[in-house]
Amino acid sequence: MIALQARRSHRVERIALLGLRIAAAIVILAMASLLLYLAFEGTKTFFVDRFSLFAFLFSPTFAVDSNHPGAAVFIVGTLAVTVFAIAIGGPFGIAVGIFLAEIAPTRMTHVLKPAIEVMVGIPSVVYGWLGLTLLVPLIRTHTTSPSGFGLAAAGIVLSIMILPTVITLSEDAFRSLPTSLKEGSLALGATRWQTITRVLLPSAASGLAVALILGIARAVGETLAIQMVIGNATQFPAGIFAPTASLTTEIVTDMPGATQGTLLEHALFSMAFLLLLIAMVLIVLVRLALRRRS
Amino acid sequence: MQRKSAPAALLLGLLLAGAALAACSAPTQSGGAEAPARANGDITIAGSTALLPLVKDASAAYQDRHKAVKISVSGGGSATGIAQVAGHAIDIGDSDIAAPEHSDLHDNRVAVVGFAIATNPSAGVKNLTKQQLQDVFAGKVANWKQIGGADQKIVIVNRPRSSGTRAVFAKTVMGNVPIAESGLVQDATGTVVSVVKQTPGAVTYVALSGVTGGVTVLSVDGVAPSAANIVSGKYPIWSYEHMFTVGEPKGNIADFIDFVQHQTGLVKKNKFIPIGDMKVSEKDR
Amino acid sequence: MAVTAPSARSVAATGSVRARKITNAVATVILWVMASSIIVMLALFVLYMVYLGWHALTPAFLFGTPKETSAGGGIGPEIFNSFYILVLTLFFTVPTAVAAGVYLQEYARPGTFRSAVQFSAESLATIPSIVMGLFGLLVFVYLFRWHFSALGGALTLTLLNLPALMRVTQEALSSVPDTLREASMALGGTKWQTITRVVLPSAIGRLTTGIVLIAGRIFGETAALIFTAGLSVPYNNPYALDLINLPHETLAVHLWYTHSESIVPDVDRIGNGSALVLLIMVLLFNVAARVLGRQLTKRFTGRVS
Repeated sequence: MIALQARRSHRVERIALLGLRIAAAIVILAMASLLLYLAFEGTKTFFVDRFSLFAFLFSPTFAVDSNHPGAAVFIVGTLAVTVFAIAIGGPFGIAVGIFLAEIAPTRMTHVLKPAIEVMVGIPSVVYGWLGLTLLVPLIRTHTTSPSGFGLAAAGIVLSIMILPTVITLSEDAFRSLPTSLKEGSLALGATRWQTITRVLLPSAASGLAVALILGIARAVGETLAIQMVIGNATQFPAGIFAPTASLTTEIVTDMPGATQGTLLEHALFSMAFLLLLIAMVLIVLVRLALRRRS
Repeated sequence: MQRKSAPAALLLGLLLAGAALAACSAPTQSGGAEAPARANGDITIAGSTALLPLVKDASAAYQDRHKAVKISVSGGGSATGIAQVAGHAIDIGDSDIAAPEHSDLHDNRVAVVGFAIATNPSAGVKNLTKQQLQDVFAGKVANWKQIGGADQKIVIVNRPRSSGTRAVFAKTVMGNVPIAESGLVQDATGTVVSVVKQTPGAVTYVALSGVTGGVTVLSVDGVAPSAANIVSGKYPIWSYEHMFTVGEPKGNIADFIDFVQHQTGLVKKNKFIPIGDMKVSEKDR
Repeated sequence: MAVTAPSARSVAATGSVRARKITNAVATVILWVMASSIIVMLALFVLYMVYLGWHALTPAFLFGTPKETSAGGGIGPEIFNSFYILVLTLFFTVPTAVAAGVYLQEYARPGTFRSAVQFSAESLATIPSIVMGLFGLLVFVYLFRWHFSALGGALTLTLLNLPALMRVTQEALSSVPDTLREASMALGGTKWQTITRVVLPSAIGRLTTGIVLIAGRIFGETAALIFTAGLSVPYNNPYALDLINLPHETLAVHLWYTHSESIVPDVDRIGNGSALVLLIMVLLFNVAARVLGRQLTKRFTGRVS
């Protein structure tokens, strides 16, 4: 009797394990097919249309009618908006992360952490809409920008959007340090600020690097919030208040009108593939930073 | 031991499953030169935002009479309409421009639309020559006062590359002169008009069907964009409105397109011109 | 671990005690201001959006159908579609992600398969949602020849959210102490019985919190749905449950469409109203996640957290 039950549960065990393995394999399959499909469609620009990779990456002209889709304008746009966002959101996020880990009393944490969770949950269209209704008119009336759309609007919205990521990861980085470090420093007579800057910060460096890299990853991949405020003009940013475009905004703007099999469609998929590659490079960087930690 | 080969077997099994899933494409597609109307009678339409008001009104009227038919309509721009119908994502693609490079698409013309040059009233001009228009949109003129208007910086408001309006404007006015990319880009007929209304010095090209109050409509070479001038051919910026289908339309789709072509009342109400009224015709619009 | 141990020299040789204390105080104040500014900023956003949009929240708006060309459109079908696609997505995502997470956390031994799964999950997590949307377009619209469809959108969103839900599962499972597992095994349970009858119930609180939070994100997802679920709803039967034949525009997509494509005269009203509804839904999901999580943990484990 017991032997029968044991055999039955053993069979259940095997089936369950198979089911779990299938689920895990689906994840691999998904990633593999994504990579393959995007690579396939994204390299058609170079193999089928015979457009040079160098020109794609570096040529400043994006003119589909003359068969010359140089994506440098959008690459620079992505870079510009990301740098803007991380320049503001990076230090601010790390500072608040330090605050949460080392300074905040419990009551403050009980208010701040849910607030950050809500910020994570707000959809990017809503951030875009806020940018549109709040930020763009502000920029239009208070600066030289005639319309308010442009790099600055996009950069500000983006820096707010990456704050939760940077804050949470920075806080994690500090919390994972051994308390003996802090205690040792304080015991030697250092003030809390000295402890933070001279002892904890250097030790948490790799964790902070992870926070910044993932903040950058978030910024690079953001699409809609930026597209609603950046102006979508195919030109290099002529100043921080000038309208411009990035890889993601260009895809969303021109993809609906791109017929399958045309140069424009291939070029847009090449941009998507480029974004994919950038994302994977960032993952590798994160792994390197984590390895340095241990 | 079997455990080592289990993952490989799993992946293989999943690949087969994936292939099977791919084979279960929508049952009515033949993938060939003709896409028949869908078995359940649904119609999805997208494309030109200039034509959108007419299609929306017509589809509402049609669905009121045929309760079983479900029609979904959205904008996206003429090139979007063409691209998505060619890719079988939708059933009818609305467009302001012809699609000569698409031999697989069947052209169903439903109306004629005129396009206007609209400016913010602060620009201070009422009429421009074709040459002046070219200079403005090529970025050669920076201030309205240089061409007889007020002292106001010119702000070009462009449509994206997928816009049929932009294509018609480029063909009939700009010719080979490229449009400057230095301005703003707004996706749709409606948003372009509201941006021009709000931005001092702004100028754009827009379908007459989308013009509302608050902007100044210019005459070109002294000719105003009235229905009479378009019908006689005196005003050059106009185009046919096309509803493209893959191959000849059949069933519900043919019925609906026929319906649209006969709605003269709706056509005029939405500021289009019935094709029958035209005294001139152009092959490649 | 590369840490910098404090030494008497590095600490003492930094100036007078008073100077150090002042720096400490100033820095603390600055950090307090920065942290508070986040709370203030969030509060301002919420209040501003309520101010802009609350008068749009009429029954006609919340339950009415959208209009493409005239004023007075509503968002009823869009709200329905947001929930419909959410349910569809969770239907695919939860079993797959929880199963994969259980596998990684409880079963997998270090090896190529495990590393492959982890790397795939990490990579999927970093992919921008627009790229995922293009993949959905390639596969579901072009390759499978579906039209804009709810199923295409749901499957694309599944791919997008698999990594997050896997991570939630793994964290929830790791929060269950090993003593529970050992006790179950000691009583004769098999590994699978242990997981289904002991570990998962203990973890259900945290798991549910994670799922509801992710559901909130799915509700607001846009970029992946623009090219897969479409930008419109049918006029006759806007609340269709169709899977592969009809476009199903969600509320978030509608907000974007209203801003960029729409030619209705009351764009502001619809946009502000839609944005506010989205915000309210996000807040509701957040609160529900915590409440549900706490209730479930109490019911299944007797503990409070």
